[in-house]
Amino acid sequence: MREAVVWVFGAALAFFVTAGAFLLLANLATGPSEESLPPDPQPSQSGPALELSLDEDQLASMEALPDQRLDLGVENAGDEDLSDVNLTLEVSSENTALSDARYYRETVQALEAGGSVTVQFYLDLSEGEGPNPVAVPEPPRKILEVRATTPTGVSTVKTAILPL
Amino acid sequence: MLAAVVLVCAGCMPADQEASIPPLSAGGRADPGLGPGTHPLSSGPGYKGSPSWSPRGNRIAFTVDGYVVDKPLNAGEVRRWTTRDFVAEDVEWTSENGLAIFGLVSDPAAGAGKAKVPRSVYRARPQEGSPEVEEVATKVLAMTPGPEGMILALETGASESELALMRDNGEVDRFGSKPVDGRVTSISLSPDRRKVVLAARVPADRPFFELRVLDLREDTHRRVARLGADLEIIGAPQWTKQGICFVAGKEEAQGGGSATPLYDLYRVPPGSDSPEHMPGVGEEFVASSIRGSPDGERLAVIGRLNPNSPINLYILEAGVLEALTSNEDMEIKTGPDDLAWSPDGASVAIVARGALSEEPRVRPGPADALLEDFYNLYEVPLELTQGAAR
Repeated sequence: MREAVVWVFGAALAFFVTAGAFLLLANLATGPSEESLPPDPQPSQSGPALELSLDEDQLASMEALPDQRLDLGVENAGDEDLSDVNLTLEVSSENTALSDARYYRETVQALEAGGSVTVQFYLDLSEGEGPNPVAVPEPPRKILEVRATTPTGVSTVKTAILPL
Repeated sequence: MLAAVVLVCAGCMPADQEASIPPLSAGGRADPGLGPGTHPLSSGPGYKGSPSWSPRGNRIAFTVDGYVVDKPLNAGEVRRWTTRDFVAEDVEWTSENGLAIFGLVSDPAAGAGKAKVPRSVYRARPQEGSPEVEEVATKVLAMTPGPEGMILALETGASESELALMRDNGEVDRFGSKPVDGRVTSISLSPDRRKVVLAARVPADRPFFELRVLDLREDTHRRVARLGADLEIIGAPQWTKQGICFVAGKEEAQGGGSATPLYDLYRVPPGSDSPEHMPGVGEEFVASSIRGSPDGERLAVIGRLNPNSPINLYILEAGVLEALTSNEDMEIKTGPDDLAWSPDGASVAIVARGALSEEPRVRPGPADALLEDFYNLYEVPLELTQGAAR
């Protein structure tokens, strides 16, 4: 009985030693590929950055009518002051066969580093030309695409999809 | 012992490496909610459908909100073939540079009643930079690519159809065979490209569906099977090594009173004239649309293992059903023309989008880069088939 226990213990010990050796070799062999992988994207710690925010509760309250108010939050999340931040808002239909896009533009003259501003838009979300009931069997949603750009090339885009 | 083996295997995969691979951007996600390996072929808004691979497999054509576009498989440049007032329902390649389009020119005055308007087939070719679209046949009921051009089913009477060949030069020649009784609803080509199988609704006291086969060499057609009066064939029957396969069913009311179509997959085995339930899919399987592979060995099926399971793309081969997608929360389009095999039989194109929401959604990035919010095309490679579905 004692011999059997010793034998089992010895076999287990030999196995774990061998497994450990394989583990070590495997980690050594994959070393270079780890280095060649691109690093995790890190959040920008410096330089210019723009962020846009859309209030989803306000979006949910919108109707397919003219004069729908939208408060667009614009934040300079970088560490450099920005000037002439151009905001372009395009309202279009999910149905790309319809050519009823409407455009709205505003400019924020100056936005200091870490600062934010709310810009109001009054949108016409009323229906344009009617969708083709044969080509598209379901009512198209509205698409709001907001783009912020600066003359120095800083830009950001957000898109809202509204089931109006 | 088992724990030790797991320890060794786990040790071979450095944790750092697993964690340090960044996720792909929305424009090129490895897993758009349909399972690993699925690759988006389009992006942005638009009600897309009817994908069709070019003969060399390097371009894909499809409909968007009624018009027709095509694009290289792995690039974004979209070429538009028809105008906004067009309502294309199906598109097929006639050559590397030509398309056959099944549809009609939109008439706003006709409104929703357009569903009854006869369809035409148009030939589209790139002409000095801008596509030229020409109507070549009217009163067309269905079309399928054939060995010498498109094969068309034409409406020639209230209860009579004829088959014709549309050549690449636009000429339409009717086959000499006698007219087909009833109204042809769909047609498709056999893998050996010698026969065409068609479904026809035959008017009688109680209308019923028939399956017929046209032999292109002998220019004759014969009835293969007749279905019960309560069954209708959905989409085009497909010719495979397992027989002629088709989706058929009737509308059945489920709990709650809403009518939900429950369609089954059937086949007519070679040499038989009796439809039977397709073996290998299970009694509860709900089929939506099917396509036979170019070599006839496999059948791509969009369906559900049971009425409550998610809809997925399956491959049926030699009586074995395998799931090709692992749908999490996507809505796979189930129209009869919303799936297509690549010419080499290595991939299937499907159309899908994320589940619709009644709440607004805000996404980073421009609208034309979004995927799940709109119906988009996805390439599903066969090589990643994961295990049997059942």
